[in-house]
Amino acid sequence: MTLLQKIKNIVRSRSIHVCYVDVGSCNGCDIEVLACLSPRYDIEQYGIVVHNNPREADILLIIGAFTPGWEDKLRMVWDRIPAPKAAVAIGNCPVSGCCFNRPGSLVDPPVSKHIPVAASVPGCPPRPTEILSAILSIAPTVFRDYEVNQ
Amino acid sequence: MNRRTVDVSIPLGPVHPCFKEPARIKCETRGEYVLSAEVELGYMKKGIERIMKGRPWQEVMFLAERVCGICSVIHNMVFIEAMESISAIEVPDRAAMLRVVANELDRMQSHLLANFSYCYTIEHETLAMYLLDQRETVMDMLERLTGARVTCAYIVPGGVRADILPDDMNFITSGLRELEKNISRYMRMFETAPLIGLRSRSIGNLTLEAASRAHAVGPTARASGINEDRRLFHPTYKRLCFQPVTRKEGDNYARIMVRFQEVMQSIGIIRQCLSGLPHGKVRGGGTCSAGAVRYSGEAPRGELTYEITTDDAGRVVEIAIQTPSIMNIEVCTHDLLTGAESIADVTSIFVSCDPCIACTER
Repeated sequence: MTLLQKIKNIVRSRSIHVCYVDVGSCNGCDIEVLACLSPRYDIEQYGIVVHNNPREADILLIIGAFTPGWEDKLRMVWDRIPAPKAAVAIGNCPVSGCCFNRPGSLVDPPVSKHIPVAASVPGCPPRPTEILSAILSIAPTVFRDYEVNQ
Repeated sequence: MNRRTVDVSIPLGPVHPCFKEPARIKCETRGEYVLSAEVELGYMKKGIERIMKGRPWQEVMFLAERVCGICSVIHNMVFIEAMESISAIEVPDRAAMLRVVANELDRMQSHLLANFSYCYTIEHETLAMYLLDQRETVMDMLERLTGARVTCAYIVPGGVRADILPDDMNFITSGLRELEKNISRYMRMFETAPLIGLRSRSIGNLTLEAASRAHAVGPTARASGINEDRRLFHPTYKRLCFQPVTRKEGDNYARIMVRFQEVMQSIGIIRQCLSGLPHGKVRGGGTCSAGAVRYSGEAPRGELTYEITTDDAGRVVEIAIQTPSIMNIEVCTHDLLTGAESIADVTSIFVSCDPCIACTER
């Protein structure tokens, strides 16, 4: 492994930019992601910055059970994120549709049908600590030696 | 034909740093001036009312909570109280008081989140983080009382799910003392800070006439001087001699201050409930039966109405939900965003109305 790769590995594990996109949830998970920003959980002490801008994101948090309004737009958001990137599904909705996945509803879960999902945090909603630990454990795994693996 | 000169058409969203939820605002501008604005919804439509139909109330209760994650307690409360009024189920006094405690805690966390979003949008991150930290204290209290942070399903027909323990009562009382001290400090910070004043005072003016013409609800209406609150008609709140908070200014500043004052008022209401908590059971029992009702309650964002028809087995045959945000989003688009002095104020005006897209679209 080159020195440059080593530096990249260190830097990438300390600077994770996050974008979250709600594709049709009850917004309970949204506010749990927001709660991660609070001084109690303090997401920024781990080097995670929530910008909510796809163009500078490394990790995309997907919340919700995929509604028809996002049919082409989620793909667009995903394509705008520069590589290396990973998507994390937050809550039950992106995994199974939770209580919304019934005959007659408009949702189309799971989200992994539409874009590749690297990890999921089940829960309705998951606690902020679980969201934090998921981001922290997925980021080094996906970003380590990215250029070498390519 | 009248033609307008439009400089730039600026779309904001659906993924935007200032919005918690996806919505798209399309603004047509001439220079800084906003000629017209339009809010485009449809990113969150799940069809909850469609899947509620034909299901027993036990299932609909959980679906009703998941209409909105921020104000889940009030959705639970209004749905269950509507079922109770259909079936003539009596609620024990102790349970009625505990419902008010849960509801006011939920209102506090929702208002603190709304004020956090506003401060974050006008880039006053310090105050925003202070408020978000206080919200965590409220979430702790809610968790001690109900057992969950967000969707807690605390209220069931004929009472509440669990009684409050003496330990939790002490936790809430001491938490409220701390909260009152801190929130009044942050309120003073917001009131007196000159830069916040520049970004908030006389921006997004909503007159009394415009607000009543468009049927604005909740803090948005009360900040323009409309004295309306569904809690005035609720039997438990009547016993607590509840009076709504109103202000006259009608700008961004007033809307945020109304929320701050309501948080302080909620602290008083919870204290009143806990100090005069009657003894007795918290679950009276009962059977849900057939009937139809239209029932309203005051959500943190305004009037929330459920219109329910049930059959003999307690199944929901017809249901229609009217949520407060749809009114406020309309008011915001037509009276506040259209004609805004600067495009830079569009996000802060939109956030000051506290729109909840998940509620609106369901």
